[in-house]
Amino acid sequence: MVTSRLRLPTPDSFTSRLRSPAVAARVGLWLGLCFATCFVTGLVSHYAQQPTHPIPFPTSPSWGYRLTQGLHVTTGVAAIPLLLVKLWSVLPRLFEAPPLGDPRRLLLTALERGSIAVLVAASVFQLATGLLNAAQWYPWTTFSFRTTHYALAWIAIGALLVHVAVKLPLIRDVLARDIDDTAHDRPGAREAGALSRRALVRTTFAAAGVAVLATAGGTVPWLRRVSVFATRTGEGPGGVPINKSATAAGVEESATSPDWRLEVVVGGTVAAVLSLDDLRAMPQHTVDLPIACVEGWSAQGTWSGVRLVDLLRSAGARAGDVVVTSLQRAGAFRRTTLPANFAADARTLVALDLAGEPLALDHGFPCRLIAPDRPGVLQTKWLARLEVDG
Amino acid sequence: MRARLLLAAAGAGLALYGLALLLTRQEPRQWLEVALWLGAGVVAHDVLLSALVVGAGLLGSRLLPASWRAPAAIALVVWGGLSVVAVPVLVGGGVRADNPTLLDRPYIATWWVVSATVVLLVAVTGFLRTRRAHGEG
Repeated sequence: MVTSRLRLPTPDSFTSRLRSPAVAARVGLWLGLCFATCFVTGLVSHYAQQPTHPIPFPTSPSWGYRLTQGLHVTTGVAAIPLLLVKLWSVLPRLFEAPPLGDPRRLLLTALERGSIAVLVAASVFQLATGLLNAAQWYPWTTFSFRTTHYALAWIAIGALLVHVAVKLPLIRDVLARDIDDTAHDRPGAREAGALSRRALVRTTFAAAGVAVLATAGGTVPWLRRVSVFATRTGEGPGGVPINKSATAAGVEESATSPDWRLEVVVGGTVAAVLSLDDLRAMPQHTVDLPIACVEGWSAQGTWSGVRLVDLLRSAGARAGDVVVTSLQRAGAFRRTTLPANFAADARTLVALDLAGEPLALDHGFPCRLIAPDRPGVLQTKWLARLEVDG
Repeated sequence: MRARLLLAAAGAGLALYGLALLLTRQEPRQWLEVALWLGAGVVAHDVLLSALVVGAGLLGSRLLPASWRAPAAIALVVWGGLSVVAVPVLVGGGVRADNPTLLDRPYIATWWVVSATVVLLVAVTGFLRTRRAHGEG
């Protein structure tokens, strides 16, 4: 008796008509669209973070990266309830017995199930690590989030294309029929579920919508009050949250030291050494630009300071790529390259003020870079040096 | 059929490119942890979460009156999806003393309020549906 109770279920153990291709295809269609959006916006973000751009990354609109990265994180969140219901609807297939008697079918089945295993593993990995990264929680110890999330994105989207190729005739036929049509149902699916299929699909879309509303306030300001599970309230000095504090960057002393100077290096020689007072004495400009982080949060700020082009020109430099170095002693983004088209943009500032107040130490005091349409991690804080070719 | 073969070949190509990226840009000890996480994700879903949901379905279909099942199923999908999405902020593994602008909401209290509201909504809807079913019957 006990042994029969412990036996693995078979597909026929699952009797609900809700676990059906009709539900899987409808939820899967939207899940696929979310994955496609995540993939494309992820590629945009990855490209934006490259030190050099063979095809220049545009500086306009200034909110371009804010939009693509907001979409990346939002569609990723929406995909979580969709994936859970999608997998629920096809769970019986996990327990199908392999066709052991027929070598050719066995091979095809093994290939198909292998591709599904890759797809499920990569999908869960991408959504889980993305969600954890948004909350800045890194429970893994050895691998790099950025490299791995990028590599697995190709694996996930590739496995998804294989899955669609295998299922295409079924998907098309199921979507052409009424949702309650039973032509493609498993023989064991004979009982009505707690809901109708239509209600389950609608509930799933509602769940995706609720998950988005509950988290998107980090990038959509008017959602802040309903986004009870957003990683941030959006509060912070000057109305802008902080990603990395001065303490975490280890710059508290060097950034507040009276000896702080901004070096401008042109063609390998120091062309100018500027104090904060020197910078304040130069013509000041004010721009409204967003900070948009790879973690998906973003905020608009009113920044004032010296135009980068003015600063470079006063040091006798020609326009070109600018290597920007922070006071930070470590970190992958301590030293970054600002491509020439960003350096030449009149909105790109060496910012001294945010919202009419001197920059808070955590926002990059004494001065930081702020450029349009750039990932937040490249809006270098606590500037120490700007370098250009002669 | 040819279009499907092309699509499958393109998919296999993209996936192999991803695999090559993973293997060339990370060290072998990093591969191991990635593999571990990939496997853990599948186990967490296919074994743990699936068993929990199957269990909830069995319990619901045996214990709940018929008119309560639809509201309970809707609540489980919406509340469950939301709770999974909220796990990182609820656990708060990313909280840092030096950054008060990160994870700065009362997540756990909110989750209890949301959960209690969901239970209340299911109870009220179930009760009203039962009464209506009896009234009309």
